Formats: sequence, structure tokens, C-alpha cells
Amino acid sequence: MASNKLRALNSIEEKEDEMDMSPMIDMVFLLLIFFIVVSTPLVVKVDPLVKPAVAFNSTKPIDKNGRIVLNIRGEKDYYKSDYKGADAKMETEDEIAEYIEKEVKRINAMNSEYVPKLHLRGHKEVLFEFSQIAVAGAARAGVNQIVFSVYPFASK
Amino acid sequence: MSRRKRGLPAEEDEPALDISSLIDVCFLLLIYFLVTSTIQPREQDLPMTLPSSQKSDAPLEIEPMLIAVKKTGSGFSIVVNKTEVLDTAVEGERRVLPRLFESLTAYSNLANANDTKPLVQLFIDPGVEQQTAMDVLNCLKGADINSVTFSQVAP
Repeated sequence: MASNKLRALNSIEEKEDEMDMSPMIDMVFLLLIFFIVVSTPLVVKVDPLVKPAVAFNSTKPIDKNGRIVLNIRGEKDYYKSDYKGADAKMETEDEIAEYIEKEVKRINAMNSEYVPKLHLRGHKEVLFEFSQIAVAGAARAGVNQIVFSVYPFASK
Repeated sequence: MSRRKRGLPAEEDEPALDISSLIDVCFLLLIYFLVTSTIQPREQDLPMTLPSSQKSDAPLEIEPMLIAVKKTGSGFSIVVNKTEVLDTAVEGERRVLPRLFESLTAYSNLANANDTKPLVQLFIDPGVEQQTAMDVLNCLKGADINSVTFSQVAP
């Protein structure tokens, strides 16, 4: 009799409530895959050869839409956003203006609410006259919003 | 003997995978990458608006402030309104130009009091480095001035 009671007790313990997590995990993975497929990443490509200057009053980027990235490595050494591309290098103000005009058209075609702005990544040691050439090119292309890319603190 | 064997639960005989060594290796790798990696600082924005090409009929309610950044040997000097020489070097780790900042803040407050936008015309010597130009723009931003005209000719 005693062993029967023990067996009965054991059988009760085995029937403890357990939560089946597998449907939840299924759903999580389904949602994850859905968002990975649907989302379009908005990436500002960074040319590693350009080390921007430091400005402590800079602000975190709020709106990354409509940015036309221009990297300045030095004299006649301007690079487009896709700095690895075959035709990425530019030398003159005319080439810069042409590039910005093309980008403005692309941005306007994508969404007319985006305001095109020049995202200027100038190396901290290059002369500012090269940035002024880029700004002049932007003004010719009808872009009057300039965003200078800077670091918020001095690296040690 | 046979009775005891029958009484043993069947689950205890199931094979189990010992994952402790896997966790050890994972933590080792995590610590290795934490120690060896260098974090790239995120870039931030210093936005400026250039004057619009559209002409305005409204007369100027405030005189524009003319700032010239001139190269002097290995350094620079900042001249405001053609005569007043302000800073010749940045101060401290925060790269402040104290006299220019003071002057810009006063001008910005004056413009706000007149209910108009501050107008700054900035000439930067072609030989000045990008960092110095950013120091000046940093001062403008600090004084809440967000629009500037870049001049090619020294005032």
C-alpha cells in the first residue's frame, strides 16, 4: 500500500504545469525575419581616411534623410558617399556641383518632403578652402543646408 | 534486484550534453574582443544654413557681423567688424574662443531683442585649417547662430 501511495505522489509531481515556449519563439523569429526583410537601413557611409575636426557644440544627427555625403581628403581629393566606387573621386567645383545636382534629383524623386543637405566630411588638417569649394558647388546646385561632420570630443 | 530496476524512472538514463566548456569558451572570446576592440566615436552634426538665393524686400533691421579668420604664421587671428582683434588661439580642451563667443552671444541677444535673425558674414583665410574653421563655427553654434554667409573676400 505504501509503495502505491508513493507512486501516486510521484505521478502528481510529473504533471506540474509547464509553459510551452515554442510558439512564442516561433512568433519572435517570424517577426524578426519580417522586420529584417521589410526594413531598409539608412546608412551614412564613413570614409575611414577622413578624420573630422572636433566641435563641442555639435548635436546628434536627428534626420539622416536627404543627406548628400561629400568626403574631403585634401586638395582636389573629394570623394562621393560611396568612396570605393570607380567614379567616386572628384577634383573640381564643377564635378561637385554636378554630383550634388544628381543627388538632389534622386532625393526629390524618392520623397519630395526630404530637404537635400550637404553632409560635409572634411579632414581636420586639410585647408578650409577645399570645404569652401564644396560649399560653392552646393550653392550652385541649389543646396543651402550644410552639415559639417565633427567629433563631439577630442580623442586621446 | 529486478523490482528495484523497474521502480527507477526512465528519464534518468537520458544522455545529457555538458555545455559548461562551451560557455567557458564563449566568455573567453567575449572578454578577448572586449579588451582588444577600440570603439570608433560617432560623428555629430554642426549644421549651418547658407543664405537663400531669393531676394528679400524687407530692409535689414540689424547690421551684419563681419568675422575674418586670418592666418598669421603658424596661428590665426580673428578680426570682428574689420578692426577689433579678438582671439588668436583656442583655449582649453573644449577649444573655446572666449572673446569671439562673448561677442557673438551679445550680437545674438541684440538680434533677438530686435526680433530679427543674426546675420554673420564669415571670411576664412584659404590657408586656415578645417579644425580652426570648425572652432569658429562651434562658437556660432554655441551662440545659437545657425545661418552664415561664407565670404570669399576679406572684409
